[in-house]
Amino acid sequence: MSDLPVFPKLPAALRPRARAGLSFALPRLTIWHGFGLTALLLICASVAQAANPAPLQKSIFATLVQWTPLLLRGFLLNIEISFLSMAMGTILGIALGLGLVAQTKPLRQTSWALTQFFRNAPWLALLFFMIYLLPYHMRIGGLHISLPDWLKAVVGLGLPVMANVAEIVRGGVRSIHPGQWEASESLGFTRNQQLFSIILPQAFKRMLPPWMNLYAILTTNTTLASIVGVNDVVTRAGQVLAAAGNNPGLLAPVYAYVLLLFFIYTYPVAIATRRLERRTKVRI
Amino acid sequence: MNALAPIADWFRHLNATTGINFTVFYDPFDATRFVHGLWVTIELSVVTIIASVLVGVIGAWGQGVKSAWVRGVTWSYVELFRNTPPLVQIYFFFFGLSAVLPHTHNGFGMAQPLIGGFAWASISLALYAGSFNVEIFRSGIEAIPHSMLEAAEALGYTRRQTYLNVILPLGLRICLPALTNNLVNLIKTTTLAYAIAVPELLYVSNQIWSDAENVPEMMILLFIIYIILVGILVALMHWWERSLRRPGLGT
Amino acid sequence: MKFKAFLLSGLVAGFGAAYAAAPAHADELQDIKSKGVLVVGVKADYPPFGYLSPSGQNIGIEPDMAADIAKRLGVKVRYVNVVAANRIQFLQQGKIDLLIATMNDTPERAKIVDIIHPDYYASGYNLMVAKTVPLHSWSQVKGVPVCAIQGSFYNKEVAEKYGAELVAFTGVAEALTALHQGRCDAFLYDDTAIEGKLQDPNWSGYDMPLPSQDAQPWGMAIKQGEPAFEKFLSQTVSDWNKTGYVLQLETKYHIQHSKFAEDAHKAAK
Repeated sequence: MSDLPVFPKLPAALRPRARAGLSFALPRLTIWHGFGLTALLLICASVAQAANPAPLQKSIFATLVQWTPLLLRGFLLNIEISFLSMAMGTILGIALGLGLVAQTKPLRQTSWALTQFFRNAPWLALLFFMIYLLPYHMRIGGLHISLPDWLKAVVGLGLPVMANVAEIVRGGVRSIHPGQWEASESLGFTRNQQLFSIILPQAFKRMLPPWMNLYAILTTNTTLASIVGVNDVVTRAGQVLAAAGNNPGLLAPVYAYVLLLFFIYTYPVAIATRRLERRTKVRI
Repeated sequence: MNALAPIADWFRHLNATTGINFTVFYDPFDATRFVHGLWVTIELSVVTIIASVLVGVIGAWGQGVKSAWVRGVTWSYVELFRNTPPLVQIYFFFFGLSAVLPHTHNGFGMAQPLIGGFAWASISLALYAGSFNVEIFRSGIEAIPHSMLEAAEALGYTRRQTYLNVILPLGLRICLPALTNNLVNLIKTTTLAYAIAVPELLYVSNQIWSDAENVPEMMILLFIIYIILVGILVALMHWWERSLRRPGLGT
Repeated sequence: MKFKAFLLSGLVAGFGAAYAAAPAHADELQDIKSKGVLVVGVKADYPPFGYLSPSGQNIGIEPDMAADIAKRLGVKVRYVNVVAANRIQFLQQGKIDLLIATMNDTPERAKIVDIIHPDYYASGYNLMVAKTVPLHSWSQVKGVPVCAIQGSFYNKEVAEKYGAELVAFTGVAEALTALHQGRCDAFLYDDTAIEGKLQDPNWSGYDMPLPSQDAQPWGMAIKQGEPAFEKFLSQTVSDWNKTGYVLQLETKYHIQHSKFAEDAHKAAK
């Protein structure tokens, strides 16, 4: 248990890959692939609609259009939560990651324990923890702070992001050839100078793809906030279903619609990540 | 049961004196459902780990075949499952797809879905984690030195033999750390089965804290158990990694 | 390893401390008047008591009641959507000032929040089953899979007393779909809500054949230790009983007059 593995995507991005011969490489991703998959999702939704056993007063498509504003408002909250959690997780995670590669042992061990705890606790359990156990109002000195539930969700999701960012930073720093440390040391750089002017600028390029990957995972996981009562797109979907008379035939289309929203948003991030991975690979 | 009586007494005493209420250690009803929840979580983890690795192997193979059609299907599967929320996938499978599948009849003669909550959670989670495994195996396979494949070809291996005897074993060794990581994530993601009423650990904990109003106690217990479960998996994977180690391959 | 264990326990203790740092309040009634807004927790998935319009507005009997209370206080009303599993926590944390969310007035709950008397409505729990299912008594549900909602207080009772196998979902939409798909043979829920559901033509094949159990009043709830706010709300409910306001709301939302509301109106006249 003392040496858990590093963040998964990093080694993949760094390793040299076989070029020709048996080609296992993915096709080059374009936006057209996205359209194709979107169409596939729509077909799935209509299959589910065709199989719908209960008679409907209103066509499913019309119902979806009618409730789209409400669903989109929920989806916007998911995006907001993902931005804020990512910002929080990144800032804290960089600090924690630098702690992981620090030279002082207590600092390294504290960072290690924090990282392990937040990487190994289930996201959903962390969310429950934050929602129920953080107070709604806090008074720090004369300052009165309100913590609405979506903000608690930001904290609950930001903490595992922090731990993963820390691992990315550690992996990035470790991936730089030891020769770089030795060379800069012999040139008289201090440890901090080495880290901030030599190592991190080189590691940054390698840390970017896994960081973007993490963002995509975080975005899809913002839906967990629905389980703890945040009015995100999944909660909204449930409310739409209740308001539309709990019509069983609507479930599949409504959830397919939510899947589609996420796909449209996350897929470009995935394309960009792969492009970047490829570019980084060439330069190494 | 008698051997546990002092423990039960101690926790009852703890509740009476401090209000720290671990009902699962003294209330037989809560204890039974909690242990059952733990068992379901373990079952769900084992089933989905095995299934997702199989999905990953098949998918990695599917990405490398000549048929553009198979490659396209594999690729669509990976992209769809990686880029959408696992929670909504579970809802979609459990509620949406069930409607299209055949039904059996229960004791009252009512139609009943063939696939239950546990099975759908397993399928859905295995497909979600499997889509990540495909990518992990693919990058492992791509990292195999090209000379190895040429050597296999020179020795007269067929494509299938090369895949089974060279690519798979070598690729597995290279991608084990990444695989371990994804499987750890999978154990954590089994909590999502909560949403479709599979009585796993988080579900039973929620029932217990709804009845006994002891959220902090149940939360601490939950974290400890998940850290232990993840620890066991990581230890097993490391043991496996060590036993597979070949001198001169990888780091 | 000892050091790591120490750190972990420190972490857990830290969260415990954050939990313990509960907020303190002076007089809530004054607070509400001075901030000019009353924050009320209501259901968003319980028609006709609390649900949403297509534009996302909270509507229903309970939001109307909340609006009436706000009007009497001369403040604006703001709604927060709650579910059974989080409503009490929201109240304790101060996220909402008042809870009107189909909550039964039970002794366990009265220990942790203040429930306003008189109660404003009543419901028991009951089972919604398909008409084809021959269910004649509660003893028949032993071992039968029954859909339910996470956090309902009667779940444990039905499981322990009648031996039903509960399958609890997070929301009503999910539970009803599970019932419709045959994942369970019955749906355990408030009789008031089931009655509402049975009027829906989509659910015409379903029925509520058993007698309602454990009819319990619904109470509004506020945080403990707010006597002024409690007295004001108590007077408001008494006034509603006099004017027959609850009966008017029932008419407005097209449900039958409940015995509880009729009795309360008669007694107060």
